[in-house]
Amino acid sequence: MIDDIRKSPLYTIVNPKSIAFFGASNNFGAMGSTCFASMKNLGFEGAVYPVHPKETEVQGYPAYASVLDLPETPDLAVLVMPTRLVCKTLEQCGRKGIRHAIVVSGGFREVGGDGVALEKELIQVTERYGIRFLGPNCIGVANPHHKLNTTFLHYEGSAGHIGIASQSGSFVTQMFNYLARFQQGYSTAFSIGNGANIDLVDCLEYLGACPNTKVIALYVEGIHRGRDFVETARRVALKKPIVALYVGGSETGRKAGFSHTGSMAGPDRLYDGIFRQCGIIRATSVTELYDYCRVLGALPESGGRRTIIQTHSGGPGAAAADALGREGLELAEISKKTSEKLKELMPHTGSIGNPVDITFSKNPLDFFSAIPKILLQEENADMLLVYFLISVEMATRPLKAMGMDETEALAQAEKLMKDLGESFARLQRECGKPVVGFSFRDLSEPVFQALMAEGIPVFSDPKRAARALSALSRYPRLREKIRAAETAN
Amino acid sequence: MNAENLIQEALSNNRQALSEFGSKQLLAACGLPVTREQLAGSREEAARFAEAIGFPVAAKACSPELMHKSEANLIELGLTDTTRVMAAFDRLAEKAGSDIEGILIQEMIAGRRELVLGLIRDPQFGPCVMLGLGGIFTEVFQDTVFRMAPVDRVEAMDMIGELRSRAMLDTFRGQAAADTDALCQAIIAVGQIGMNFEAVSEIDINPLIITPTGDITAVDALVVLNGGVL
Repeated sequence: MIDDIRKSPLYTIVNPKSIAFFGASNNFGAMGSTCFASMKNLGFEGAVYPVHPKETEVQGYPAYASVLDLPETPDLAVLVMPTRLVCKTLEQCGRKGIRHAIVVSGGFREVGGDGVALEKELIQVTERYGIRFLGPNCIGVANPHHKLNTTFLHYEGSAGHIGIASQSGSFVTQMFNYLARFQQGYSTAFSIGNGANIDLVDCLEYLGACPNTKVIALYVEGIHRGRDFVETARRVALKKPIVALYVGGSETGRKAGFSHTGSMAGPDRLYDGIFRQCGIIRATSVTELYDYCRVLGALPESGGRRTIIQTHSGGPGAAAADALGREGLELAEISKKTSEKLKELMPHTGSIGNPVDITFSKNPLDFFSAIPKILLQEENADMLLVYFLISVEMATRPLKAMGMDETEALAQAEKLMKDLGESFARLQRECGKPVVGFSFRDLSEPVFQALMAEGIPVFSDPKRAARALSALSRYPRLREKIRAAETAN
Repeated sequence: MNAENLIQEALSNNRQALSEFGSKQLLAACGLPVTREQLAGSREEAARFAEAIGFPVAAKACSPELMHKSEANLIELGLTDTTRVMAAFDRLAEKAGSDIEGILIQEMIAGRRELVLGLIRDPQFGPCVMLGLGGIFTEVFQDTVFRMAPVDRVEAMDMIGELRSRAMLDTFRGQAAADTDALCQAIIAVGQIGMNFEAVSEIDINPLIITPTGDITAVDALVVLNGGVL
């Protein structure tokens, strides 16, 4: 287990100062060209040396006929080229002194037949020169904090705090847009591919030590080096939450059971138990993987399961209460002190139980500041779940009624939404308790984008919100379990 | 006989599993609570053992080749006197044929709360311990939890807590709560067998009965050895 990412071979792979790029040209039909363009697009600040047998210039960069001709020894080689050229190219990289590579090219072990032998050759060549590499058959990496993206889609969104190690490249590159819509982004993303040299355990270890990473996502089809995985995950989980989506896959290698125990050794149950032993929170879908990462990465730690629901509509509040119960959470008991304070702000139609159903607050702005401020001070509560029904249109109406012209009213309303989101988030930061929202409105609206940008996740369904809160409240308990075992041993 | 010797002897005889008797000797040597039992070679011996153990007893044909005895009708339960024990001996000996170690005369353990405790070897994770709801409903409810061995006390307690049938281990229908300390020790011990003996490829203790006073006892057990294909 490393405590400093610079000790990992992955450090240079995602923080290179210079890159030799193989497989990029000016023909955008080629994957290598699109990868190169992504790298350019994010504004990688190091030196980039495209190597191409024919081109003298690639997308504005001077190209070199051979890696041996480069004016310096780059930190990293990225290979997005035909399979048959990979070993030869890495051999030359090795001679040039390059010690780190990303092999995007496929056609190795994953295709069987000759590919298996080819991967062995790849391993031999890289071992001869001590080259550490990701892949083959991977999508590459993204480290937006270093303005690096070697994948074929442009990076979207901000440099975030979700680290991912994925056995499918799709969950690296194809989720850029998805995360951006929630005002989130990757800290560092690894596509592992065949894992011929650097594997899932190495990536997990790196992300555990990576200071930009607050939460780790794993997409798993099968774990090799199982015992190392458990040991590493248990150490990492002490420092930051890990969420895993396991979709099965490698059961074929499993021997058929001879006894009751053997026949029931369904790998899914086995992985369930092992994830728990590792302190890993298991997600059951792609959506959930990211939902969990959103709350665990953005929110303060939950002190327990007791939750307050703040709503201005009965049905969504009751649905949220039901969802919380189903996910093992509790409705916090509203103390007398809190209800006294709330009374002043609540209309006679409101109900000070839990859910706290405000109906129409006397002042609409109270829903974003005065009311949550009181609720977040409730000593009997650990978390706050808020139902939002608000839109720019709703805020525009009274402004127009006051005689403001359409454009001005719209601009004012949008600004108000943003301010509301920000003030809510400020409250959360001050009190240090987790706040999660849900709404059935379009989450691209300014108020939700402001909330999410400020670190309050908003979900499209109370069940998703409840499950995410449940995951949030599980992490400290999983971590304490590992700590307890360490203390006992 | 200690655990190492039991395994070595079975391996040198090309056995692919230990019999129920051998399996429990191994488990007992590793600290697990098992039924009091003796292997009878004759009807007279069976009667004598039964009297020593105390009635009622169970009689079971015992052989490393017999993995699912109840399905093969090679068990007699609740035998209350020597006449019945001897009759059971005769029937089981005849039905099982010559290929057996003997007829196992075993104490009857009261208790209807049944667990399964076992060990598997996963190609990636190595030895892993399983705990679940046992007895005849094991496959029906599939209430099982796994951990990679070695399992420490914290994880053993967590496994117990994760069972859907967890409530059964508390004070339940007039029966005492299960001795969770003993259960933890049993879970840990099974994991240790997996860590210490490479030759043990699977263990299946089913049922592990919780008595009305909360004690736990391995009532049936099977230890499969390397390459055991039966």
